[in-house]
Amino acid sequence: MTQEVAQAKAVFPSLEWFQILKEMVNHDEGFRRIGTCDTTMGIKITDRQKYYLVTFEAFEVADVREVSEEEAEEADFWLEGPFALWREMLENIKAHGKADHQHTLNTIDLEMPEGFARSHDGLRRDAFYRFNQSLQYFFNASSRIDTVFED
Amino acid sequence: MGEELQIPEDLAQVAHEKGFPLDLVRRALALGFPPSLIAAQIRAGAQPEQVAAYLDEQERVRAGGEVHIPPEVQQLARQRRWPEELIKRAVRAGLSMQQVKDFLESGLRADQMERVVILRERAREAGGPPVTLEWMNARTEWGIRVKPGKKGLTLGSLNVGSYGDIPDYWPRQTEMPRGAAPNPLSPSMGYSIYEKAELWADHAADLYEEAIQRQWKPATHIPWDDIPPLPEPLEQALCQLCTYMCQNAMVISDTIGKWLKEMSYGYHEVKVYMATAGFDYARHMDVFRKRAYLNGVGMGRQSPGYYLRPIKDARRWTEASTMMFIFNTSFLMHLCQVGYYTARSEGDALIFALTMQDLARQTAYGVEHLRYFLLRKPECRLEVDGYLQKIEAFFAYEDDKDPTLQEALVVLLGGGLGREELKRGWQLLHRFRRRWIADYLWRLEAAGMPERRQYLFFYLRQWLPQHQEVTVTTGGTS
Repeated sequence: MTQEVAQAKAVFPSLEWFQILKEMVNHDEGFRRIGTCDTTMGIKITDRQKYYLVTFEAFEVADVREVSEEEAEEADFWLEGPFALWREMLENIKAHGKADHQHTLNTIDLEMPEGFARSHDGLRRDAFYRFNQSLQYFFNASSRIDTVFED
Repeated sequence: MGEELQIPEDLAQVAHEKGFPLDLVRRALALGFPPSLIAAQIRAGAQPEQVAAYLDEQERVRAGGEVHIPPEVQQLARQRRWPEELIKRAVRAGLSMQQVKDFLESGLRADQMERVVILRERAREAGGPPVTLEWMNARTEWGIRVKPGKKGLTLGSLNVGSYGDIPDYWPRQTEMPRGAAPNPLSPSMGYSIYEKAELWADHAADLYEEAIQRQWKPATHIPWDDIPPLPEPLEQALCQLCTYMCQNAMVISDTIGKWLKEMSYGYHEVKVYMATAGFDYARHMDVFRKRAYLNGVGMGRQSPGYYLRPIKDARRWTEASTMMFIFNTSFLMHLCQVGYYTARSEGDALIFALTMQDLARQTAYGVEHLRYFLLRKPECRLEVDGYLQKIEAFFAYEDDKDPTLQEALVVLLGGGLGREELKRGWQLLHRFRRRWIADYLWRLEAAGMPERRQYLFFYLRQWLPQHQEVTVTTGGTS
């Protein structure tokens, strides 16, 4: 299964890209071994006006959907940045098999004055830290996608 | 009856003290009931009339008489699909009809009841040792079944039926687990927290499962072989940060341990979650101690500990929890963010990332508990404000008096001891501290205390996000 998905090619940002990532992670024992992860994560690619909602439940990614900006902001937290930032992060992951230190979710979050992970609620935002290893694993899995970035 | 049975002296003494008729004692002995059981029943206040009726029935049945099943018991038996013969066997084995009815009402299945009867029969056939099986008559709720979900069989999923009833006040001073039948022999254990509002957080059971599932092991999770030493001043600064983390972790672990024994057993979700939180801090002490020793530097200078004193001295759990799991965890998260940001190896980054995961979980308890507490005790708002004022003031005193930790962070952030490096270090520290204070206040807002922003201790206001940027100079933050 993993091998089949590894050949996948998809455009970022697109629902298809997130669905492939979901399938990869759900068939990956490594993700399960990190432990349970229960949170909702919004994705905002601001200058493309593309918004997604990823739902993590127990040991899997339960759902990915393309949503409105308001719905993305209803998540526990959302990751927000322009297309160039997302592209740089994902290209770095592709190049190294996983994010190097300068491109992890944590580092990007610490580098940005407003933070990469944002929320309307101080408690719900902490899910970004609580489940950080699972979230990083999720994005690291994208190294196995042949991602196409449309300028 | 033949020769009259002799009553053991201590049993006769018990009967005498309770005014219990000796002829009933002799009849019970003749039926084979052990003296210790008879004495226990008399001490427990068995009524002679009821005992006489029970003995009449047992003597009649054992002489070959038919067991009469009352209509209400027959009806219950039909509902539970118990065959009548099972009830008759139970009575012949020594159970009273009331006990049989109790078993039916508690939801016991026929196959479960048959096991009870078999045990009784075997005990009688063997002629001892004395078996009362009274414990099998515990009037707890039977028939509750829980199916494992996506996360397996979780602690929170057991809270169904009467087991899901978590009272606002826990009436038991003993070690009785919630849902069990009380035992009158149990002594009071001297807990001091019997009120749900004083410790509860709705997601405590979920946090417990999360802590267990996401547990990590310092010895094997961290790639210790792949953490080269940093240039000397940085390695020393990192070890100073590790020393602080060790000391802080030990104090918090101690404090959690001190409070665990105060929490009554009605709120086991919080107790077991706190056990994991205590273990988290033990792990933090472990991992930071290992990191400090890894490349030959070892422990740095101890922190004065002024700031940790009010945490240890808290007189109310909500006070301790708010200081530990909102103020202190926010501060430790800030330290971990600096540690993560300045990490130069995957191993060092992983140490701080995994620690942050644990701290964020503890913050989730602290915020949710404070929110629960304030909703039920709004009159305590000023009291909580006082806790925060106290911990902020003690922190400020220590931070101002002892520059050890700040300077270590500056060296790490700046990347060395040169003038420009230190300048950059102070600038970055200021940025990280602004983030810390913003997160701290944001968590308090989520807990229901947005007004704390206004009353923040003056020393900490220098890092308020809207505060005018201070002039950064080498060697100080003001």
